[in-house]
Amino acid sequence: MIRKLIYGTKCLLGREAPGRNLSVLDDDVFIASYPKSGNTWTRFLVANLIYPQEPVTFLNIEKIIPDPDLQSRNFLKHCPRPRVMKIHHPFDPRYKRVVCIVRDPRDVAVSQYHFQIKRAVLQPGHPIEDFVKRFVAGGTSPYGSWGQNVGSWLIARYNGPGFVLLRYEDLIENAVEGLAQIARLLNLEPDRHRLEKAVEFSSADRMRALEKLQADQWASTKETRIDLPFVRGAKAGEWKSTLSPDAVAQIEQEWGSLMRALGYKIETAGGEAKPSVLDLMEFPSP
Amino acid sequence: MMYGIKVVLGYWFGTDIADRNLAVRPDDTFIVSYPRSGNTWTRFLIANLLFPNTPVTFANIERLIPDTSSQSNRVLKRTPRPRFIKSHQYFDPRYPRVLYVVRDPRDLVLSYYNFQRKYRQIADDYPLANYVDDFVEGRLISADWGTWGENVASWIFTRQNRNSFLLLRYEDMKSDTEHELRRIATFLGLQVGPDRLQQAIAASSPERMRELEQAQSDQWVATQKHRKDIPFVGPAQSGRWHTELPQASVSKIESAWGSLMSTLEYPLATSNMNHTQMYNTPIQRQPLRTS
Repeated sequence: MIRKLIYGTKCLLGREAPGRNLSVLDDDVFIASYPKSGNTWTRFLVANLIYPQEPVTFLNIEKIIPDPDLQSRNFLKHCPRPRVMKIHHPFDPRYKRVVCIVRDPRDVAVSQYHFQIKRAVLQPGHPIEDFVKRFVAGGTSPYGSWGQNVGSWLIARYNGPGFVLLRYEDLIENAVEGLAQIARLLNLEPDRHRLEKAVEFSSADRMRALEKLQADQWASTKETRIDLPFVRGAKAGEWKSTLSPDAVAQIEQEWGSLMRALGYKIETAGGEAKPSVLDLMEFPSP
Repeated sequence: MMYGIKVVLGYWFGTDIADRNLAVRPDDTFIVSYPRSGNTWTRFLIANLLFPNTPVTFANIERLIPDTSSQSNRVLKRTPRPRFIKSHQYFDPRYPRVLYVVRDPRDLVLSYYNFQRKYRQIADDYPLANYVDDFVEGRLISADWGTWGENVASWIFTRQNRNSFLLLRYEDMKSDTEHELRRIATFLGLQVGPDRLQQAIAASSPERMRELEQAQSDQWVATQKHRKDIPFVGPAQSGRWHTELPQASVSKIESAWGSLMSTLEYPLATSNMNHTQMYNTPIQRQPLRTS
């Protein structure tokens, strides 16, 4: 009852976060990813690209590239167009221009595990095998499992117009090139210098420094353990030293074909098993 | 402000349409399909199977198997559990158990064309060929549920090979209804003999559904406010596209969704296709249907 009243008042004032009820506009651009796949870094990259004059920080990122699950309906309505928004939703046909960031699910698992400890959802020292088991079943996130979330976007939109697929690993390797692809989707024509500047302003080191200063003010970190960082290793392949062979096998067995299609090398025998609709699709060799 | 008032009133009185705001329960079962794929027939079959003592009609189908896109959150909340719910939604990770009905898009588009004329969403003389282009390119109201390819692929990819997912082809249901209905019954965990299957099939036949529509179209939310000269229950046939769909429209559909159609074992009529959109070849058949 009380919750209904609060929510109702918020709706009246346009203060509720619309989430999936967002009124989508034709020129909206969405940065879509499964949680812990480099979405925040990509947001920084894009924000620094769009606003080269204004240094992007954790304090203004929510206003520059808002999240419809967090910001109010009123705020979103009055954002300058074209709006660029951040989401973790699986496929939504109303989103016509999408940058999809994917990351090796073995690293996503490790990153999400650490984030859940930071958020005190898990106790420190919680067995990671148990976490991976739930991760594979999609039980650790409200946005579906990694495979369902990523797969739903790929199967519906891959090769289609208005869809840019970027691997986190490739972004680390060559952020300027990845950002240039995003710029084309945004109809921007930045020169190399502007791209390099945006990459520089979004470096892991700079983001760590900003986090130190602003962690208590940013929505995603302020109610979490401040002694653990949000911006962690910012590298690929951490799973190799963190996950047990059994945990790796579980992930590969569930999503082997999708991982293969995305160019993530399968290490265990189990990953060869399941055929999938994705075997129909031709992906460029990474 | 007006929007806010509408939302609040809907929320407060529970009259808002559930759609993607539906509160999903762990014991829910969803009958999902793209519109005009035989969802209503499947609903009748399942409702007749589940409630052998209640003759299923258009007057009570929304109570027995409510529709997420026409019923309110309140109605759905009051539906006795375990609930069986009809939906046209694209992939929703929250749906725990899903029967997905797929139909050849070349037949589906013919059915949809009539349906949108019935609903007066297009002019009576709107050219079919233009309509097919709109359909494929996602310019129709139906695109709220994604295009046919997006909707179908989003479910099949994410859920295939799972015990909680049953893929049904409308065409198989037409050609061997008893066999397919038995698969449904097994999926739902129902122990039913051939008699009950036959009874459910007879009570859901196109003839009976047409009779019911004649008598009750004013009592069913999907038909009550729409013109009566075009029926909701169509010819209930498969393969009409062979004679009724222009060649160019067939090519249009197949070039957009050819590989997905092949995966679903809908043989393509056009060879030498130029795939411009998704689902690039090569085509490799996968055992999608488990029976």
